[in-house]
Amino acid sequence: MGLLAAITEAWQEVRVHRVRVVLSLVGVFLAVFAMTTITAVGRMGAQMLQESSDRSQGRAATLQLDVYSSDGSSTVDAESMAQLRSVVARHGIPWSSLTGSLQFPARLPAGTKLVSGTIVEPRYGEMHRIQVLQGRWFTDADTDRFAPALVVDQQFADGLGGFDPAAPPTVVLGGDTPVRGTVIGVVDDRNTDGVSAWVLPGDVERWISADTTYGSAQLGMQVWVPDRDAEALQQVLQQELTASVPGGNAGVYRYDSGEELGVVNVVLAYGVRGIGIFALVLGGIGVLNVGLVTVRQRIREIGVRRSFGATSGRVFFAVLFESVCATAAAGALAVLLSVAIISNLPLSLILPQGISLTDVPPYPWEAALEGFLAATAIGALAGLVPAVMAVRAQVIDAIRY
Amino acid sequence: MSVVSLNGIGRSVALPDGEVLRILTGVDLVVEAGEHVAVVGRSGSGKSTLLNLVGLLDRPTSGEYLLDGRPTTGMSARRTAKLRGATFGFVFQQFNLLPGRSATDNVASPLFYGSSREFLRRRSIARAMLTRVGLGGRLDTMPEKLSGGEQQRVALARSLVRRPRVLLADEPTGALDVDTGSAVMDVLEELVREDGTTLVTITHDLAVAARADRRFRLDHGVLTQLDDAALHGATADRSAP
Ligand SMILES: Nc1ncnc2c1ncn2[C@@H]1O[C@H](COP(=O)(O)OP(=O)(O)O)[C@@H](O)[C@H]1O
Ligand SMILES: [Mg+2]
Repeated sequence: MGLLAAITEAWQEVRVHRVRVVLSLVGVFLAVFAMTTITAVGRMGAQMLQESSDRSQGRAATLQLDVYSSDGSSTVDAESMAQLRSVVARHGIPWSSLTGSLQFPARLPAGTKLVSGTIVEPRYGEMHRIQVLQGRWFTDADTDRFAPALVVDQQFADGLGGFDPAAPPTVVLGGDTPVRGTVIGVVDDRNTDGVSAWVLPGDVERWISADTTYGSAQLGMQVWVPDRDAEALQQVLQQELTASVPGGNAGVYRYDSGEELGVVNVVLAYGVRGIGIFALVLGGIGVLNVGLVTVRQRIREIGVRRSFGATSGRVFFAVLFESVCATAAAGALAVLLSVAIISNLPLSLILPQGISLTDVPPYPWEAALEGFLAATAIGALAGLVPAVMAVRAQVIDAIRY
Repeated sequence: MSVVSLNGIGRSVALPDGEVLRILTGVDLVVEAGEHVAVVGRSGSGKSTLLNLVGLLDRPTSGEYLLDGRPTTGMSARRTAKLRGATFGFVFQQFNLLPGRSATDNVASPLFYGSSREFLRRRSIARAMLTRVGLGGRLDTMPEKLSGGEQQRVALARSLVRRPRVLLADEPTGALDVDTGSAVMDVLEELVREDGTTLVTITHDLAVAARADRRFRLDHGVLTQLDDAALHGATADRSAP
């Protein structure tokens, strides 16, 4: 009950002195607001960089495995595909996709066009954050169809007169030995020049690569592995692949740009936090300043409360409480404002053309909590000096005139 | 039994220049329960210092102070604070109301230091007390909007809201004109009589002192009891020891 009385009384004090409380808080409020908002915006920026890099180069950590035959070319043949698959299977890597590129002609209504194709397996979609606009991405069931399946970009789909999921369009591929393929989905493609399509390696082997007019297909494999395993795996895979290609050679290298992006996170984690703490300390000095100025005015009031039987502990608590309460409230308000602004950002209007954010990062609640706690702690520190002064004030001096 | 018993109380302070200022010397004072005692004396004679000592706001540098027959020296600061809040009510010359808080909130403020019951029912207790001092119509008024006499009545209600056994009034009419002062004293004495509260009043005002059961005079830190003849004699300075 004593504690409840102490808190109620202190809270009443805060309400009576709200003007001075609010005045002392501007610094802390701005510091917490800036810290949380910058962190949130930074996270979004990092996420954007990450996503665009994931699309082109794969997520961290993506390793590229290449097998070259003795003549130096890497071709799509059953043998090297089997080699790559067995190496990956031996290490129990769940996320892998054969990948390569080839060019093939497609007979669009407006005439034959050369398509830049990417050889992929179903998992590639997740590994490269492929965004499906219409239809769907490949599934494992697509690997044994009777005709090649294609996922195409918007330009390709437009060339076919649009995409209707109920009646998937077909298109004739290849030159001398044409085959009719079915378009199963349309995806968002950042590579805006030329017509693009994604095809499965089995289909390429069976139907498309027969046509070598436009150069043979290049094939390798990408695996998505935990970042910390990447380096060790890279070496082991390199050795095993080399050994399994008699007379040929193999290369395993890191494909994504995870390491460079790490820098952004370090800047966010330490740079922004460092500046934020500095700003908070400045805000705390503001609180301390107001506290020191007003403690003199409060001495009389404290003397009166002493006459009611206020103990030193109670006096100390009341002064400290005002400071802590005030900075905590300022911190909470700053966080709320920051959340409100960040979660209502019109991203589609702000972001430059061609950059998007699929996975909008969640509001950095740890940063918000950190800001809030830091503000409260600053309040406690800044309230300490006035609280000690209040306790040490002589009651008699306080109430004499 | 006597509530307050001072034996040879002295209070001195060290001045910045190293000299020792003796504010009170050898003060003996016994106040019985329910009694009304007045202390007169010129400004600077040590009256407030004496009252603060009695109210446990200050500690003597020599002598012995028994409260309800128990020594008060050597008590912890915390215990002293609690005992002060539970035993004494204070009325100051300058009212010392808490600014920005209504009359009710001011009167309720000591109840934050009382029992659970007092804390939980503080507003209704405060309102009842304000009604007793005749301010039932100004419950929510801020002190700044009240006249001097009204402010002192709020302060009076506040000093009595925890039903103290001893009310210590330091020049309660000092900041008021004569008529208002005597009206406030009427209310004060009535409440004190109703509750059986012991009253120690410090005053410049001989008319106020005349209302007390016993009167003392403080001169340069020395306390002497006055007989009625001395009080009615024109010069208060020339009292017999
Ligand atoms: N803490 C102190 N330090 C120095 N001088 C003090 C202190 N307290 C009181 N005095 C001095 O002691 C004298 C008596 O003070 P006080 O008790 O307030 O007198 P009164 O209330 O009778 O006017 C005054 O001269 C005052 O200046
Ligand atoms: Mg005085």
